[in-house]
Amino acid sequence: MTAARQGSDPAVAAAFPDVDALTAALDAADYVVDPGLATALFLGVRLPQPVLLEGEPGVGKTEAAKALARALDTPLVRLQCYEGIDAAEALYEWNYPRQLLAIRMAETHGERLAEADLFTRDYLLRRPLLAALEHPGPRPAVLLVDELDRADDDFEAFTFELLAEATVTIPELGTVTAAHPPIVVLTSNRTRDLHDALKRRCLYHWIDYPSPDRAAEIVRRRVPDSALPLTLDATAAVDRMRGLDLEKPPGIAETVDWVAALTLLGVPRLDATSADAAGATLGSVLKNRDDLELVRARGVSWLTGAGRV
Amino acid sequence: MRAVSDQGGRAGPTVRGGVAAEPAALATRFVEALHRGGVPAGTDRAARFATALRLVPPATRDRLYWTARVTLVADAAQLPAFDAVFAGIFGDDTPPVDLADTRGDPTAPPLPDVPSETRPTAPDDRPAQPAPPGAGAGTAGTGGPGGEPRAVPALASTTERLRHTAFADLTADEVTAVRHLVRRIALATPQRRTRRTRASRKHGERIDVRRTVGNARKTGGDPVALVRRRRRRRPRPLVLLCDVSGSMEPYTRVFLALLHGCVSGGRGVPGARTEAFVFSTRLTRLTRPLAGRDPDLALRRAAETAPDWAGGTRLAEALRRFLDSYGRRGIARGAVVVVLSDGWARDEPADVAAQMARLRWVAHRIVWVNPRKAAAGYAPKVGGMAAALPFCDAFVSGHSLAALDEVAAAVASAG
Repeated sequence: MTAARQGSDPAVAAAFPDVDALTAALDAADYVVDPGLATALFLGVRLPQPVLLEGEPGVGKTEAAKALARALDTPLVRLQCYEGIDAAEALYEWNYPRQLLAIRMAETHGERLAEADLFTRDYLLRRPLLAALEHPGPRPAVLLVDELDRADDDFEAFTFELLAEATVTIPELGTVTAAHPPIVVLTSNRTRDLHDALKRRCLYHWIDYPSPDRAAEIVRRRVPDSALPLTLDATAAVDRMRGLDLEKPPGIAETVDWVAALTLLGVPRLDATSADAAGATLGSVLKNRDDLELVRARGVSWLTGAGRV
Repeated sequence: MRAVSDQGGRAGPTVRGGVAAEPAALATRFVEALHRGGVPAGTDRAARFATALRLVPPATRDRLYWTARVTLVADAAQLPAFDAVFAGIFGDDTPPVDLADTRGDPTAPPLPDVPSETRPTAPDDRPAQPAPPGAGAGTAGTGGPGGEPRAVPALASTTERLRHTAFADLTADEVTAVRHLVRRIALATPQRRTRRTRASRKHGERIDVRRTVGNARKTGGDPVALVRRRRRRRPRPLVLLCDVSGSMEPYTRVFLALLHGCVSGGRGVPGARTEAFVFSTRLTRLTRPLAGRDPDLALRRAAETAPDWAGGTRLAEALRRFLDSYGRRGIARGAVVVVLSDGWARDEPADVAAQMARLRWVAHRIVWVNPRKAAAGYAPKVGGMAAALPFCDAFVSGHSLAALDEVAAAVASAG
C-alpha cells in the first residue's frame, strides 16, 4: 500500500503525538473511548492504515468514525453500502442533465461545443469515494465505509483496491491522485465473511459493549440534564438485560433514548417508586415484544438489582 | 518466519522503514508464538506491529496488549486464542479488560489447551476414504474425477438400485460412489426481487430517466429510445443445518457431501449465498472449511473444525445458537433454511418449538429433511420432531438419491 508507506500526514502527526492526545481529542468531541478503540484509531490515523470495526449492532461503530472526524476537524465522508451498490453510486458519475442543458444553451447561442468542454470537473458528480480522495486538506478527510458486509464481494475488492492506491482513473479526465489520502474506517455487522485480502490490510478492532460506568459517562454526554444516579441505574439495568436471552439486546443508542425519556418524565432514579415510569418507557430500550415480556416478567426490582441477593 | 536474535549484530537486517531493531525482534517472536497458538499472522502484520510499537511505546502491559491485538488479530473469532497466547507470554495477573469474547463470538474456537469432551474427529470413515479419480464411473457412467464444471441433474444415469437404497444400507464402496453424485446436486433456491434495478430495453416498470437522457446525447438531445428499469432478481440465500449426532451417523456421510457440493460450487445457482452448519451438542459453521473444491480435504477440514461428531443432539440449543449468532444478523433472513435431522433431541419439545418459531420469523422457507420418515410406520408424534413440524414448509425424507430429488424440489418451490 503506497499510502501506508508514506507515513501519516505531518499535520496529523503533530496534532496526535500519542494515544492519549487522540483520546483527549475524542473526549473533547464528546466521544468516550476505551483504550482499545483509542489505540485502534490512533494507529489507523498514524500508520496510516484502514481500521475495520466490528461489534454487535448499537455499540457505536459508526459513531466512532464521526467522532474521529470531529476530533481531526475534517469532514466525514460516508459511504453506506448495500446489496448491489456499484461504482456509479460509490465513485463518480457524469451529470448528464447538466451536459444536455449545456448543449442546448450552446445551440441557442449559436456556439459550438467540443466534447472536451462537456467532460470537465464541472460536470462530474462526486460520489463519496471520489469526494474523499479529492478532499483538498489541510488534513485528510475521514472516509466511513459503513456496513461493508452488505455490499457484494466484488465491490468490496474494487473499493479496497482504490483505497490502497489512493488514486482513481477517470477516462475522460485522467488520473486523480489524493493529495491527502483519506483516513479509512470500515464497519461490518458480520453478516458474511469479509475477504481475507481486505482483512490483511486492515487494523482490526472488535468493539464490545461498554462497561456500565463508561456507558453512564457516554449517556451523560448525550443527555446533559440527566441525573447521575438515574444514568447509573439505567446503564446497570441495560447491562442486566443483555445478560438475558434477548432477541435484540439494547445498544448505546437505546440506553440514551431510555434515559432521555426517563429524564423527561422527571424520574430521579430507578427504584420501587418509579416502577410505573420504568415500565412505561421500557419500549425505548427493547424493540421486540418477546423481549419486553421477558423483562417485564422479572419486574423493576430485578432491573434495579434490588431483587438480587 | 524465523525468530530473530536480539543481539545487536543480527538486528541490522531487520530494520525496515525505520523500525528499531527491538520492536522488530519482539514482533517476530510474538507473531511466531501466536502462530503456534493458532492465530496466523503474516509478515506484513508482524511488520505493522513493529511499526505500531514505535508509535505506541509499550509503556504498560495494557498498551502492549491493545497495540498487538489491533494489529495482529483479523477476526473476533481469534480473540480467545490471542488472549491465551498473550497471557502465556506476558502474564495475566491483571486482565486488561473485560475481553470481547464474553459476549462476542460463540463461534470462537476453544482455547488451544482446553480438552474437548467429545471425541475430536471421526477418522474411521468420513474423510479417510480417498475417492480415486473416476470412482463413481463404474456405477454412474459419467466418469470424470469430479472436475466436471457444471452441476449434473442426470441422477438417472446411475442404476435404479443405488437410487432407491437408503444411504444407511449402502456398502462403503457404494457410499463413495453416491457421495460423488450427491456432491453435484445443485440445490436451487427460488428467486426474489431485489430493491436494486437494472436497465432493460423492453420490459420494466419505470423509466430510467438518467440513462435515457444520457443516451439522448447521441441523438442530439432528443430522447429517441426510452430506457426502462426493472427489478433485479436474485436467488434466495440457502442455509443448511445438518445434524451430525450419533443417531444420524449413517446419513451424515452422504449429507456432508451434499453440504460440500452446495457450498463449494454454488454451481448452477449463480449468486446464491450458501451457508453450511453442523450441530450435535454444539453448532459449528462449516462454510469456510467446506469451501474448497477438493472433497476429501474439505471433509477433513470440516471434521477438524467441528469437535462433536456423533455426540448427542441439542436441537433447540443449536437452533438458538444459530439464530443468535448468525440468523438474525442476516444470514437466515429471507433464506431457504434446510434442516437435516431426525429430530431426536435431548431438549424439551417446548424449547424446540420456541426456537423454530423464531426461525420462522426470519426465514423464507423451512425445509426439514428427516431420513427416518422413510421407515414404515414412522410418524412424527413425539419429541423435537413433533414440536418442529408445525413450523416447516416441507417435510421430506432425503434418505436415498431418489429422495434427494424431493429435497431439491422442496428447496426450489416458490412456496
